[in-house]
Amino acid sequence: MLEIIKKYEAQLRWALYALGAALLLLFLADQLAGKKAARILQTLLSGILVGGVYGLVALGIVVINKASGVFNFAHGWMMVVGGMIFWSFFSVSEISLLGAALLATATMLLAMSTASFSRLRQRRTQLLVLGGSLLLTALMTAGGSDWRWLHALSGAFAGAMLTGLAVERFAIRPLIGQPLFTAVLMTLAIAEVLHGVTQIAWGTVELNLPIFVNPATGSRFQPIRLEGLRELLDGLVIVRVELVIAFVLALVAFSGFIIFFRYTSVGLAMRATAEDQQLAQAVGLRVRVILAISWAAAAFLASIAGVLQGGAVGLSLNISLVALRVFPAVLLGGLESISGAFIGGILIGIVEQFGTLINSSQQVGTNLAPYLVLMLVLVLKPEGLFGEKRIERV
Amino acid sequence: MANIKPAGVFDTTYEDDMAIDRTRRDKFWKNLAFCALLLVPLLSASGPLGLGLLGDQYIGLIARIAIYVIAVQGLNLLVGYTGQISLGHAAFMGVGAYGSAILARELGFSFWLALPTSALLTGMLGLLFGLPSLRVKGFYLAMATLAAQFIIPWALEYPLAGWTGGTRPLSLPAPMIGPFTPYARDSVSPETPLDFTAGAAFIVDVIAVELTAGAVDSARIDILQPGGAPLPYGDVNMTVTRDAAGNVIALRYIASKAGAYRVQLAGAAEARAEVRRGKALSFATDTAMYYLIVPLAVLLMFLARNLIRTRTGRAFISVRDNDLAAELLGVNVFATKLRAFFLSAVYAGIAGCLLAFERNSISLQMFQLDLSIEMLAMLIIGGAGYPLGALFGVTFIRLLQEAAIPALRPWLSDWLPQLFPFIDAVNITSAINPILFGGALIVFLILEPRGIAHRWELLKAAWKLRPYAY
Repeated sequence: MLEIIKKYEAQLRWALYALGAALLLLFLADQLAGKKAARILQTLLSGILVGGVYGLVALGIVVINKASGVFNFAHGWMMVVGGMIFWSFFSVSEISLLGAALLATATMLLAMSTASFSRLRQRRTQLLVLGGSLLLTALMTAGGSDWRWLHALSGAFAGAMLTGLAVERFAIRPLIGQPLFTAVLMTLAIAEVLHGVTQIAWGTVELNLPIFVNPATGSRFQPIRLEGLRELLDGLVIVRVELVIAFVLALVAFSGFIIFFRYTSVGLAMRATAEDQQLAQAVGLRVRVILAISWAAAAFLASIAGVLQGGAVGLSLNISLVALRVFPAVLLGGLESISGAFIGGILIGIVEQFGTLINSSQQVGTNLAPYLVLMLVLVLKPEGLFGEKRIERV
Repeated sequence: MANIKPAGVFDTTYEDDMAIDRTRRDKFWKNLAFCALLLVPLLSASGPLGLGLLGDQYIGLIARIAIYVIAVQGLNLLVGYTGQISLGHAAFMGVGAYGSAILARELGFSFWLALPTSALLTGMLGLLFGLPSLRVKGFYLAMATLAAQFIIPWALEYPLAGWTGGTRPLSLPAPMIGPFTPYARDSVSPETPLDFTAGAAFIVDVIAVELTAGAVDSARIDILQPGGAPLPYGDVNMTVTRDAAGNVIALRYIASKAGAYRVQLAGAAEARAEVRRGKALSFATDTAMYYLIVPLAVLLMFLARNLIRTRTGRAFISVRDNDLAAELLGVNVFATKLRAFFLSAVYAGIAGCLLAFERNSISLQMFQLDLSIEMLAMLIIGGAGYPLGALFGVTFIRLLQEAAIPALRPWLSDWLPQLFPFIDAVNITSAINPILFGGALIVFLILEPRGIAHRWELLKAAWKLRPYAY
C-alpha cells in the first residue's frame, strides 16, 4: 500500500487537488444555482473592477518585497495617508500655508539627503532644497480653487515621497542586517504610528472625495446599464462608472510602473538591486538610494490606490483594511511576481464579490473569503501562482 | 552573562547548574518580591486596613497588567523561544474570553471550571492554526496566523452570534467560592414576602428560590433589589431554571450589592416557594480579583520559566536557533512547533478568561488585530526570549500609557490645532495610544532589539561584578 502511494505520489496529489477543486465547484454551483445569470455576471464584472485597485496595492507590496525583502504591513496606512493628503488639497477650500511649506521642505530635505545627511552641507544641495521646496509650495497653494487638481496632485506627490523616504530612512535603513522578524515588526510599528497620525490629522469620519464627477454636469456619473443584455441574461447588469474609471486608472498606473521598471535606467538599477544587493553595490550602484527610491515608488503606488479607492467607495481609515485583503492577493500571485500581483488582485476581487453574493449579511466577502484563500494558498502552494519556488525544508 | 554568580558559589552538580534559584539570596529576594506584591492591596483605600496610601485604580491596573503578562508570556513561548511569528494572539485571547463567557452563561459553569475548559479549548484551536507550520515557516507562518486573526473573530461574530451576541457586549457574573451551607430556610407565599439584608463586598449572600407548591404557570417569582425595582430575569448574577414548558420554577441570585432585598411571589393563593440563603466568597471587587489574578500570573510565569529548562523548552530553543540542526539532533520539529502553539494558545486562553471575569463584560472590539500587534510590541520591548521579558514589556507599555496619555493630551490638544487649523482636537485622545506604542516599538527595534530584559541582565551582571567592570 505504502509503496503504491510512494510510486504514484504526484498523481495522487493531483487527484486530491482535483477532488478539492470539484468539491469547491460543487459548493459554488449549489450556492449560485438560484441566482440569475445577470447577477453572476454583475458580480464577476465588479469583482474584476474592484480587483484592479487591489492589484495596484499588491504591486506596491511586491515592489518593496523585491527590492528589500521586507513585506510591508504598513502599506494600507500608506494608502490612507496618500488619499487623505490628496483630499486635504482637493476638498479643503483654504489650504494651510504653513502645512504646505512644511510638507514641501521636509520632502525636499529627505529627497536631497537620501544618500547621507552630510549632503546637506553642500551649497548646491542647499540651493536645490530651497528652490525645490519653494516650487512645491507654490504648486500646492498658488491660485484659487480652479487649480485644485494641481494642488492635490503635487500635494499627494510630496506626501507620498515624504512617507516613503521617511519610513525607509528612519525605520528600515537602521535595520539592515537584522533578521526578517525585526523588519516585519518594524512595518507593523510603522503601521501603528501612521494610524495614529492619520487619526489625529483627519479623524475617523468618512470623507467625501468627489474626483470621479462628470465634467459636463458636475455631478456623479450615472451608472452604465447594459440594456442590450437584459433579454439574454434575464436581468439588468449595472456597472458603476467610478469603478470603471478607477480600474482604468489603476491599469494605467500599473503599466506606467512596469514601463518605468523595465525601460528606464533607474528601473534597471532597481531590478539589479532586487536580484543581488552585494553584486549591485559591487558594480557601482548606490544601493541605499535605490532602496529609498523603491520605498518612494511603493508609497506613490499606495497613494494612487488610496485616491482611487477613496474616490470610488469613500475615504476613511477603513481603506487600510483593503491592504489586509490584498495580502492574500500578493501571496496568491507570488511574492516576487509583478504580473502575479495584478492577477492575484483581480482574483481576490472576484472572490470577495462572490462571497458577498453568496452571503451578503455576514460580510463573508470582505472578512472571511480572502483569508480562507490565504490559508488555502499557504497550505497548497506557498510560493503562489507565479512566484519563485524556494527550495526550503520546514 | 546571566550565569555570573557571586564569588565562592560553584555549580558542582547538574542540579545546581539547572536550578532556578541559584543562591539562597536569589530565593530570598524572589519570595520577598512575591510577598510584597501580595501586600500591595492592603495599602489601598478599599483594602481591609483602609490605609489609603494607594489609589484604588492601581489595584485594577496591576491586575490587568498581570493578565496581559500571562498573555504576552504565552506569546513569548511561541515567538521568543520557538521563533514562530504570531499575529493572531488577540484572537486566541478572544476565544478564551468568549469560551469562558459562553460556558458560564449557557452551561452554568463556575469560573473555576470555565477557566481550565476554555484554556484547553483555546489550546486546541491553537493547534489547528499551528498546522500550517508543517509546510511554511517565517513570514508565511505570520500570514497564516494573520488569517486566524480574521477568521476567528468572524466566526465569533456571525455563525456563533446566538451565543456571543455578535458585536454587542456580553456580561458575566463574578467568580465565587461557595455558597456554603445555607444559614436560613424560609417559605414564601403570595401574602408573605421575604425581606432580608445582604452583606458587604467579599462575603455575599446567595439565595436560591424554588417553587414547591401551586400552579407553576401562574406563579411568578421576583427579587426586588435595594430601591424596590424587580430584577430582570436576564441579570448577570441570576441563574434561572425553567421547566419543559418554559415556566420559571427556580431562581438563584447572588446579591452583589449591599442593602435590603425582598423576595416576592405572585400567583394563586396556595403557591409556595422555598428560599434558602447562604454565604459565599465573591471575587466581585478589584482587590479580590487581584488576589485571584496575581498569584495565578506568578504561577504561570514560574511554569514558563521552568518549562524552558526542561527537554521541551530546550527543543523550543533549538527549533528557534536552527531547525535543521534541531531535526538532525533528533528533535521532532513539527511536534515541537505544535506544542509551542498549543501552550501559547493556552496562556492566551487563560488571560482571555481572566480578562472576561475581571471586566465582567467583553466585546469583540477588544480582540482586534491592534491588540495582537500591541502584544508583540510589548514582547519585543520587554525582551523576546527572556523569562521576564513579558513582565517588563507589559509594565513598560501600560505605565507609559497611564503616565504619558493624560500628560500629553491637554498639551497636544492645545497647540496642534493652533498650528494646523485642519486638526480637530477631538481626534487626538484616541490616536495617542497607537503612536505611543508604535513609536516605542520603533525606538526599541533600532536601539535595543533585545529589549529591557537584556538591559536588566546587563545591570545584574554589573552589580555582581562591582567594583570591577570585568
